Amino acid sequence: MRHRLADSSDLELAARARQLTQRVQTLTQTRHDAVDTATAELRRIERDLHDGAQARLVALGMSLRAAERMFATNPEAALALVTEARETSSRALTDLRDLVRGIYPPVLADRGLADAVRALVLDTPLHTELDLDLSNEVEMPVAAAVYFAVAEALANAVQHSGARTVRIHLGHSAGLLRAQVTDDGAGGADPARGTGLAGVERRLATFDGILAISSPPGGPTIVAIEVPCALSSAKTSSC
Amino acid sequence: MRVVIGEDLFLLREGLVRLLSAHGFEIVAAVATAPELLAALVDEHPDVGIVDVRLPPTHTDDGLRAALRARAQVPGLPVLVLSQYVEQLYARELLADQAGGVGYLLKDRVFNDDQFTAAIRTVAAGGTVLDPEVVRKLLNRRSRDAPLTRLTAREREVLARMAEGRSNAAIAQRLFVTEKAVSKHAAGIFAKLDLALSDDDNRRVLAVLAYLES
Repeated sequence: MRHRLADSSDLELAARARQLTQRVQTLTQTRHDAVDTATAELRRIERDLHDGAQARLVALGMSLRAAERMFATNPEAALALVTEARETSSRALTDLRDLVRGIYPPVLADRGLADAVRALVLDTPLHTELDLDLSNEVEMPVAAAVYFAVAEALANAVQHSGARTVRIHLGHSAGLLRAQVTDDGAGGADPARGTGLAGVERRLATFDGILAISSPPGGPTIVAIEVPCALSSAKTSSC
Repeated sequence: MRVVIGEDLFLLREGLVRLLSAHGFEIVAAVATAPELLAALVDEHPDVGIVDVRLPPTHTDDGLRAALRARAQVPGLPVLVLSQYVEQLYARELLADQAGGVGYLLKDRVFNDDQFTAAIRTVAAGGTVLDPEVVRKLLNRRSRDAPLTRLTAREREVLARMAEGRSNAAIAQRLFVTEKAVSKHAAGIFAKLDLALSDDDNRRVLAVLAYLES
């Protein structure tokens, strides 16, 4: 009797050890991916700033300096340079705005995931049905990952599927935050092609989230996203 | 004209005060937080409030919320909302009460002081002014719809300007055509979109926006 007890607890321990080993492997991989993604993202931001707003600010300073020199001798040319400088500053702001949207969409920062997806739908040139069922607020890092996943799926539907209608469901159920983007387009979407959804998938994996695509020829295309509530919600118990 | 300004960044707040004072506006209050803004709008009853979307305390959309609350307490209180970015979602919330006296512009539109002060006067007079960027997004969203595809390129151009809240005179000046040509285009647009044409500028812009948002 005692022997058998020891046996079963040995088995349990071994199973537990295997689970833990697997968990460590997953965490090592997703952490590695997360660091890679973050580094690539910072590089992209640095490059966008360097080639965009920074370059425009240099041009702006140069225009203003030239205007300063010409002010006394050729006021008309100076005025033209000042006008040019004003236009350059507007373009620098546009560059910065686009950059900020890519880092963290303003409505997501202001209002959270539900309104951010509403705003996304308003900017989409397709008939889009939105079904929201969020029982509580989603924590920011997860909200951002899910937002960009939905945005990517929606962009694919607009650009590639030839769909007329898109349906987005976003809600909490059975301990999961789920998002589903369904379009009535031609289907045949190949997740291996293009890096958009692969990047989204890596980002979701950091939160033990998954992304699955079903896109048979003839459609419909369904992109499904799931993230465990334990990692996505401030109040884990009620999710 | 009495103006209340809500802007948390000192440089921009002072810049707006200076710019508007130079154009003869009377600044009755220039505040830096949403609670102060709401109090100033409701207590001072300005001819127009100029409001930054993002304000303390939470540094999210507190300014927008304060403007909406002020309009709930004082119906039709004219507000011109400024932001570093424009969102259709926020434009809808501002336009929802259909009371007019609403503006929503990108902050860098301030650079063109003639257009900016014209926008302030339009809003103060109960009109509607929308940033071309919002209108571009609105039109883009409906670009595949049949009625809009029936418009000529020039009609689409006129439609966009109407949605921005511009008068026939302003549209004519912008497109280098006569006012009469603009009203002819407007009639064509309203017929193709099956809308009732109105001479009232604000009713017209609300009709156009209601159509585009539907």
